[in-house]
Amino acid sequence: MLLIRQSNRANNAVRTTSVGGELFVASVVICMILASFGDAVDPALFGEAGLEFAIFDFGGELSVLAMRHWHLLQLLVAGAVLGVGLAVLRVGAAAVVKALRPADRRAEEKVPIRL
Amino acid sequence: MELDFLSAGFVSALFAIVLIDLVLAGDNALIIGLVARNLPKNTQRKVIFWGTFGAIAVRAVMAILVVYILDLPGFMLAGGLALVWIARKLLTPEEQGAQNHLVKGPATSFAGAIRTIVIADAVMGVDNVLAIGGAATGNVLLIVLGLAISVPIIVWGSQLVIRLVDRFPSIVLLGGAVLAWTGYSMVVREPLLGPWFEGHPATRLVAAILIFSISLAPWYTARMAEQTKPLVVILPGVLVWMLAFEIVASVWTLQMDYLRATETGEYVLEAARWLGWLPLVAAYLWLHERVMLRREHAARS
Repeated sequence: MLLIRQSNRANNAVRTTSVGGELFVASVVICMILASFGDAVDPALFGEAGLEFAIFDFGGELSVLAMRHWHLLQLLVAGAVLGVGLAVLRVGAAAVVKALRPADRRAEEKVPIRL
Repeated sequence: MELDFLSAGFVSALFAIVLIDLVLAGDNALIIGLVARNLPKNTQRKVIFWGTFGAIAVRAVMAILVVYILDLPGFMLAGGLALVWIARKLLTPEEQGAQNHLVKGPATSFAGAIRTIVIADAVMGVDNVLAIGGAATGNVLLIVLGLAISVPIIVWGSQLVIRLVDRFPSIVLLGGAVLAWTGYSMVVREPLLGPWFEGHPATRLVAAILIFSISLAPWYTARMAEQTKPLVVILPGVLVWMLAFEIVASVWTLQMDYLRATETGEYVLEAARWLGWLPLVAAYLWLHERVMLRREHAARS
């Protein structure tokens, strides 16, 4: 029997883990899959037109190819950065959506107007 | 693969080993306590000492065996697939009642107690040693370090580990992801499959997504609505379908590239590859729906 089974929270980690922890692990998994994407592309394909691809790498697809040699620690750091980026994006998007949401019709008259 | 001491690769592999040791550490202290509880006080001390010694010795022997076994063709693939299963098992919650199946009851003799402790550790330690062997990529120093880290956990560290994973349950999720990653790297390092992966580079990505989707299924299933849960079966199923066509193409040297297809048979094959899974998915969804409705009906009546 594993030690983690002794702790109810750890035994049930898929449900008890925090939102931040889950976002971090999900970001690490995304980075791991991106690293395997680098593995999946034959570098010889880019040998012929390397510069052209490098100039038009708007989507960053080629930059991802560099991740093929990344180690676990690099993937963890990248996952942490991606996780923080996604969290910031979420907070920003929530603020924008909140600002754009129209006031309730019944509360229209009560909207304070500061002069 | 050669890793220089304290290089980025070495430290990363060591970190993976520490994480694996944390999440796959077995509860030896509990087993020793259960086995020795009915023995006289004097014998209990001997059982604790020799039981711990035996458990460490068994783990060392298994670690040495894993290094040699993983060098044999086919075992890297088997080890990688075993790690996928271990990751799934790690992320699936277990009932608290099912915890002491390794110990049938308290031992009545010294030899019986030692035997039970050693067998229990061998059973509990297989996944740990296999994962360490995979993460160490054949580096003996890393395997020794992995063993040196797991031994203090066996002897003294159980409470510390429980407290740590209880405070940060995401360590368990991360451990599952690292096991899946180690499993993937073991599968693509398999010498029998090496040339095939070289010839079909795109299959590596398919294999990676397949391994992650199977290993982490308990994690994302917990987040999914009931209606979307069949995706847990459909996504890996479609990836296996695609991989199977790649394998068939290389075994029977068939033309599977739609840009190069010229004959009717090749076009039919292409159509089967890209669309053939749709009726299977539809049949699965219909069956799933029927089963769910029947269960709902049975629950009501």
